[in-house]
Amino acid sequence: MSWMRDDRGTALVLTLVLAPLLLIALAGVLQLGALRVVAARVRAAADLATLVAVNDQDGAELARSGVLRLSTDAVDVAREYFARELELSSSLLDSAAAEIAAAADVAAYPSAPAYDTYTGARYDRPAVRIAAHVPVRTPVFGALVLRPVTTIDVLSVSSPR
Amino acid sequence: MKRRTTLLMLTIVSLWSSPALAWDPFRDEAPSEPPKPAREPDPAPFIAPPPGIYYVTDTYVADLVTTTGPVTTYSTTTVHESTGSYARVLDTVGTGAASPFDGSSFNGRRVVGDGRAVAGTYYENYVLSEGGFVPISIVFFQDDAELARLLGDAPAPAVTRPAPSTPPVATRPVPPGCCAPQPPVVTTAPPTPTPTRPIRPGISLLPVSTPLTVLEVLRGRAVSLYPRAFVDDRELPVRSWLVVAGNAGEPVATAGRGGTPFTTSWRQLAPPGAMYELVFRIEVDTPDTGQQTVDATIAVVVRSPALER
Repeated sequence: MSWMRDDRGTALVLTLVLAPLLLIALAGVLQLGALRVVAARVRAAADLATLVAVNDQDGAELARSGVLRLSTDAVDVAREYFARELELSSSLLDSAAAEIAAAADVAAYPSAPAYDTYTGARYDRPAVRIAAHVPVRTPVFGALVLRPVTTIDVLSVSSPR
Repeated sequence: MKRRTTLLMLTIVSLWSSPALAWDPFRDEAPSEPPKPAREPDPAPFIAPPPGIYYVTDTYVADLVTTTGPVTTYSTTTVHESTGSYARVLDTVGTGAASPFDGSSFNGRRVVGDGRAVAGTYYENYVLSEGGFVPISIVFFQDDAELARLLGDAPAPAVTRPAPSTPPVATRPVPPGCCAPQPPVVTTAPPTPTPTRPIRPGISLLPVSTPLTVLEVLRGRAVSLYPRAFVDDRELPVRSWLVVAGNAGEPVATAGRGGTPFTTSWRQLAPPGAMYELVFRIEVDTPDTGQQTVDATIAVVVRSPALER
């Protein structure tokens, strides 16, 4: 019964069986972590775009009434800066940053209170909202017979408080 | 045995790993067609300015009425200052002539002694924004004069003689009486009465914009406030101003002369639900009012762009 105590072959078997599984799991974890990083960058891009748009105020209206009011081109400003921020992560996106920004649902609510038809939220201050679907490349998921492109839904609202 | 096993493992790992390392996830995304030529972005759309607009270098300060002997002169005082605004002439009107812009100017249009409106020019002020020239106010620059009857019933010799073929400015020949021809007589306009209403102070964001009582500003953004004073619809020249109370933020100066704005910025938000009350002491000194000081208060709400979610 000496062969039962001989474990010289078990290491090879375990390696052959477990190494691929471990590598697959490791690749999935790395891809998931990368996806979370990209999601954070996309959210930051949307947040920054809405903040910039809110910071752009109508000077003539302020001189007339003393009230902060969104500039008439707040939507364009938000969309432009969203595209600019996404451009920094363009290698991770499945579409061009400009196309993603152009397809985003950007809305400005220059007077308050206002109700957002997209979210149903009520805004007590003039607000700018971005809702976008951002496709991100996930090649490891694709290699593992999952989706090679993962869509990140982002929603950002900003107002002067 | 161990050497053979190690060699076998290395062989397997190297054979197994090389295809994965060589796999290019984006190889299918090679451009199938030549890239489109880069195109220069379209220039900003040209926004035609209103006709006749020009850059303002002399800013309206106040209407001025001076009386020298029998002559009352209606003029406008200005300060040589560029506030970044633009203006254009809307209408030039003569004495008593109506204008479609009557009542639209923030400083109004005075009348001479016989009730007719003074002559002058209407200007519309603009600020240049990204969307083009935005009208902000209309101002009337008066430019007229009249001969007034001296106190008492005896008319001045200089004005009781027959009128010349071309009457002087702002005089009106009185229609002849029913029974006997009479020489033209100048109007019996009394001097502009001394204002009886109190001085009304105001704070505005532009030298000619609407005075404000509450102002919202963005945190850290520089803002200029113009202390002003009014009597009825007439603006008085401000001699000096001084911030006497309130959180002034980070001001350039807390006192200044008339026409000089109070420039500051706030880096701190007020507590929730509160606002900064700022009190200016405004000094005016005109022949009509004498030297007086009035306090103007403006509430400042400092806001900062923030994320809602």
